[in-house]
Amino acid sequence: MSNSQGGNALLRTSTPGDGSAVGDGAVTAPSPARRPRRRGDWRKRAEIALLAGPAIVVFIAFVIFPVVMAAYYGFFKWKGYGVPTDFVGLENYLTILQDSTFIDALSHNGFIVVMSLVMQGPAAVILALLLNRKMRGRGLIRVLIFVPYVVSEVIVGTGWSLMLQTTGAINDLFGKIGLEGWAVDWLSDPDVAIWSLMIIITWKYIGFAVILFLAGLQSIPEELHEAAAIDGASYWQTQRSITLPLLGPTLRIWAFLSIIGSLQLFDLVYIIWGQYVSATAGTSTMATYMVLNGRNAGNYGFGNAVAVVLFIISLVIALTYQRFVLRRDTQGAITEGKK
Amino acid sequence: MKARKSLATSVAVLMGALALAACGGSDDTSAGGDGDVELTFWHNSTTGDGKAYWDATAAAFEEANPGVTVKIQSIQNEDMDGKLQTALNSGDAPDIFMARGGGKLADIVDSGQVMDLTDKIDDDVREAVGGALDAFAVDGKVYGMPTAVLPGGIWYSKDLFAQAGITETPTTMAELEDAVAKLKAAGIQPIALGGKDAWPAAHWYYFFALRACSQDTINESAAEMNFDDPCWTEAGQAYADFAGIEPFNNGFLTTTAQQGAGSSAGLLANHQAAMELMGAWNPGVIAGLTPDGEPLADLGWFPFPAIEGGKGDATAMMGGVDGYACHVDAPDACADFLNFYMKQEHQEGYAEAFVTLPASKDAQGAVTDPALQDVLASYNDAAYVSVWLDTLLGQNVGNALNAGVVDMLAGDGDADSIVAAVKAAAAKE
Repeated sequence: MSNSQGGNALLRTSTPGDGSAVGDGAVTAPSPARRPRRRGDWRKRAEIALLAGPAIVVFIAFVIFPVVMAAYYGFFKWKGYGVPTDFVGLENYLTILQDSTFIDALSHNGFIVVMSLVMQGPAAVILALLLNRKMRGRGLIRVLIFVPYVVSEVIVGTGWSLMLQTTGAINDLFGKIGLEGWAVDWLSDPDVAIWSLMIIITWKYIGFAVILFLAGLQSIPEELHEAAAIDGASYWQTQRSITLPLLGPTLRIWAFLSIIGSLQLFDLVYIIWGQYVSATAGTSTMATYMVLNGRNAGNYGFGNAVAVVLFIISLVIALTYQRFVLRRDTQGAITEGKK
Repeated sequence: MKARKSLATSVAVLMGALALAACGGSDDTSAGGDGDVELTFWHNSTTGDGKAYWDATAAAFEEANPGVTVKIQSIQNEDMDGKLQTALNSGDAPDIFMARGGGKLADIVDSGQVMDLTDKIDDDVREAVGGALDAFAVDGKVYGMPTAVLPGGIWYSKDLFAQAGITETPTTMAELEDAVAKLKAAGIQPIALGGKDAWPAAHWYYFFALRACSQDTINESAAEMNFDDPCWTEAGQAYADFAGIEPFNNGFLTTTAQQGAGSSAGLLANHQAAMELMGAWNPGVIAGLTPDGEPLADLGWFPFPAIEGGKGDATAMMGGVDGYACHVDAPDACADFLNFYMKQEHQEGYAEAFVTLPASKDAQGAVTDPALQDVLASYNDAAYVSVWLDTLLGQNVGNALNAGVVDMLAGDGDADSIVAAVKAAAAKE
């Protein structure tokens, strides 16, 4: 509706002479039905091309084109200088999938995906429920929880890595309060390091989940809670039977963002552990593997192949998730747009 | 039907994007039309005396060569490789760019982008440089001009050594281990190591290999990518044994090399650790990390200790060579500029500005720092000087070597697995 109006206005200003005829044709259609509709189609397309065209060109040039080129380079042994000539077919891909350090990195990614959901989800829901009630200092607590999400990864990584050094603030604190036994090698010990990472990730990203859930809670009609109260439901009964199910769409979207983010995790690991130590500390990810064995080793063809593998894994998981988990939530959005 | 149409559209737009990208690459018209020559020059000194040195040297060159202008771009060291790579691939390369020799330079030479300088180096310059030119030789031809030599060794705090009761600097591994024990007994962390960056940890392996392997073995291994000689494993074993006495600072695996007071250089600068194995650039780095920002007053230097039964010469040194190369399409004035900065006065200026060792032997008188004078004495007496192994072996194998050493230190491998990692990477070449 708004589209066709916009189209008419556009056409009227550009062709003032026969504007009325065209406009009438499109809106009221007194003449044979096919011709005006085709014209309307043409106009609609011109409009789409005009408004979306630049964005599409930019998207193709800077997103689609690099992905295609990465897939292309992935078939070569290429040092990054000049045009790749040494075609090796699927050799890079076979090397990646047989490399135990890549499998390790992949399993770390999987661990981070699961633990992010398990650690952040319930905690964020509880925090959001608490912060959704009227209480003293609510605004301050909301800000405090959200601040880490706003701080850049570089600052978070540098700060935590300084605190978690064996001679850093945290071990020092344990020593000062008589808990020397608690002081451990937070970053180098493979049994501990991945949990250090999970603590930092939770601290950093839980604010985002809380904000999302708070927004989701706002959209739940107050009447439902009132009705439940009249029926004599307790606070926790109301939360379990009304709030949580209605928060479902928000939870599923947050989980989706969290999974994709965890699969592509790079910056925190790279800043705290660097690309070399992350493997032995048990915190390497597919992205740090890519930088270590691609860019830093000067094997750009190989690095591109890793990027493609990472892309495919993320894409498959994203599509599967959309197909099976988000289907209910996106049903309306996808089908209602068209008539 | 619908899907096919949208596919056709996207293919059409993709072709457009490709054409666009192709356009971007093709407009590499070079500068300078009416007899005037412009040289673009990329170096890595973004601040202070180093930047001022290059500005002054370029200005002096312009004065001596009317019609030639040098356009300087100073680029942060860590950004240099990536930026240069992009520039070389897009056909928009600078005329003069930084080079450190070894496998990385060889890769650029392979792609036909570096000027052959073999016949363009002045005879007096060649004589003043001596063996340092070898660092830029690929298949017997020279592709770069050194400006500084940066041999490595062990930097130490004289005050902390005195505090621990160490009177003589160690000359053998046994003496070094003894010094470590004395420092530990005095409650001082013996050796600072920036393991997070991998190369500082790998430097220890390089020096163990330098002492364990003969010069011929090192060169042949690098040329043929063959690491079957047992000395490579012996070096790893010697390193593993040494690491077994826990000589390094707490948390060395997550310590960086040069960034901030918590880095390995920072530990030395703040008397938190007594020693560090590093190249001749270290006095400058440490000076930037001391509490007052001044050079460390009690900084001393001694060469890497001798190892019993090793096939390498005990006086041999390992180090880097900083220098510059010309792009293959650069004007002739490029080679002139490289010869120009090798003149004694400019090399003396370089040594003073960068607090380091000049490549030209004529300019060695400008070295005044006492620790650097010790380095220079060892350098001039060295039986031979090898390039850092990761540079020598090229980026791919060198990187695998560095990563293998870190794995071993982290307890995730041993002397054999270092050699295995190197061989696996060499097989990828």
